[in-house]
Amino acid sequence: MPRFLVRTFLCTLATLILQAQQTEVVLSASSSAKLVLGMAPPKVSGLDEAQVAAEFTAVVRRDLDETGVFAVLQERLPSDTAPAKAWKEAGAQWLLTVRLTRATTGDLQLEASALDTAAEKAVFTKPYKADRLVPLRRLAHALADDLVARLTGERGVASSRVVFVREMAPGVKELFQIDRDGANLIQLTRHGSLTLAPSVAPDGRLAYVTYKGGAPEIWGQRRRDGAHEKLYPLSGAGGMVSTPIWSPDGRRLAFVQGDRRGNSDIMILDLEAGRARRLTDGNGINTEPSWNPNGTQIAFTSDREGGPQVFLMQDDGSNLRRLTGEGQYNASPAWSPNGAMIAYVSRFEGKFDLFIYKLGEGKAYQITTGVSTSESPAWSPDERRLVFTSNRFGSAQIFTTDLSGRQVVRMTELPGCQSPKWTRGR
Amino acid sequence: MRYGTYLVPAAIVLTLGSLACKPPKTAEEIKQETQAAFNEGAQAFKDGKARTTNPYLSEKEAKENPHKMQGWYDGWDKAKADKDAADKAAAEKAAADEAARKAAAEKAAAEEAARKAAEAEKAAAFKKAAEALKTIHFDYDKSDIKEADRALLQGIADFMKAYPAAKVEIEGHCDERGTNEYNLALGNRRAAAALAYLKTLGVDEARFTTISFGKEKPVCTEAKEACWGQNRRGEFKLK
Repeated sequence: MPRFLVRTFLCTLATLILQAQQTEVVLSASSSAKLVLGMAPPKVSGLDEAQVAAEFTAVVRRDLDETGVFAVLQERLPSDTAPAKAWKEAGAQWLLTVRLTRATTGDLQLEASALDTAAEKAVFTKPYKADRLVPLRRLAHALADDLVARLTGERGVASSRVVFVREMAPGVKELFQIDRDGANLIQLTRHGSLTLAPSVAPDGRLAYVTYKGGAPEIWGQRRRDGAHEKLYPLSGAGGMVSTPIWSPDGRRLAFVQGDRRGNSDIMILDLEAGRARRLTDGNGINTEPSWNPNGTQIAFTSDREGGPQVFLMQDDGSNLRRLTGEGQYNASPAWSPNGAMIAYVSRFEGKFDLFIYKLGEGKAYQITTGVSTSESPAWSPDERRLVFTSNRFGSAQIFTTDLSGRQVVRMTELPGCQSPKWTRGR
Repeated sequence: MRYGTYLVPAAIVLTLGSLACKPPKTAEEIKQETQAAFNEGAQAFKDGKARTTNPYLSEKEAKENPHKMQGWYDGWDKAKADKDAADKAAAEKAAADEAARKAAAEKAAAEEAARKAAEAEKAAAFKKAAEALKTIHFDYDKSDIKEADRALLQGIADFMKAYPAAKVEIEGHCDERGTNEYNLALGNRRAAAALAYLKTLGVDEARFTTISFGKEKPVCTEAKEACWGQNRRGEFKLK
């Protein structure tokens, strides 16, 4: 009898620990209304069921959970007798059925269809084909993105990736990329030096700063999938360059050049012409440029009026105006993909938090709260989430949050990460 | 009578013995004999009548070892003797040259060592002087030179004046608070502030380069003011 009690106690403890680990990732659940999607077990042929469960079903489920618009319901209901009715009674509004086949050649075939359980008619049908080199999780991401597109009108971001900087050793940082769900970590640069501030063009080309030559230089790709080469300065010393940001059309780079008098100015480099033009007036620090979606305006941080504040200007330097009003330290603006919002960080009670300025309302909203610091906001391509760095678990790691700040998800457990950028292009 | 038994025969033996033995040659006699033999040989050479016998060989020995006789004169070859003499002279000259060369090399090595020692001493002096390149510190979000750091900067200016060839890179660093990019700009401003102050102390600003590492290269990684204060710094590195 005592042994039984001990065993029960241990089991309970293990369950509690497991639950604690699970809830550590999702800090709080979003409560907005979601569509309940029933997911029948996939019909599989030519593939290992366990592999499908781990690399397909679980991936689709996680992708859909993190969209914030679906709630996934997985139950083993008898699928042949009146399936829609059974799922409807279980609470599902849509029923997703999936058939996965691997041909003898190794090619994958996926047939996915979704049924409206109330109206009992198909709302989504799509066949997918992939050769044997494509991993299952890639198909799962594509399916999740298409389901979101069917429901919301805009493709999801499960197939997107995040490029970021990771510290390899003291004074050595390199660029990495990771899938949006935290899988498939790839190292992008091997400069063996301080490599900072990645920016990704819409077609996936990189630009960044590296100190491999001693002084900082802007490096990047002139062509899609091309070799990494020096973009600025092409000859001589370029001064203290930093923060290259691709324009939305991928033809220009906004960047920052510091001079020997301590000023930093926003510059624009025309890559085809090879000419750089100064936009700000050499008055104090001007840095962290961020383009609006059509490439006509730039948001940036300037301390021209004392502490750092967010300003806006045209892409020729005219029409300068201050955006942020409250707070002593507002910086790191990131213009949203649709142009209606600007995310930034603000010092608040001794640490930094993410804020969103809604241009239409002319008001700022606080996103993150808590005792830890949150930095470097970057928008998801669908404008539903922000990726950022936070030291809430000690060393700086990458997190995403929805715009309410209630659903914060840790993207990687890698320590020493900074400057994430979220892209569909890679 | 008692002693006469021994003394008388002893006296007889000694007297007879001394008469019977030839007294040993004195050194003078040996010298004279040798000189005579040499003179004889030399005269024979002068007369063109070479000796046919080796005066240093007894007849018995000459008979037992005829080869010792033959080599005495028959092998004489003037050309070979001249050549040998020339070779010997040449060898001596070569040896002398070699010795001279060695001496010169040793001298050069000594000079090189002395030069190196002087250089090392100079480098050591330079290195010691370069210790004047002390790290300065800044207040949060500030780039003003602190009162306490002015003496350090004066030391750096003195060093730059003492070593006109020295070039220095000024690094600006920040603490972890604030954004990466704004801190890069702030580090640049800190480096520029140090540069401007050194310029007022009379050092040519072309001898400095400035660079900012923002908050990317902290010397201390804990989240507390003691640590942040160490990280908000300006470093001076010889280039």
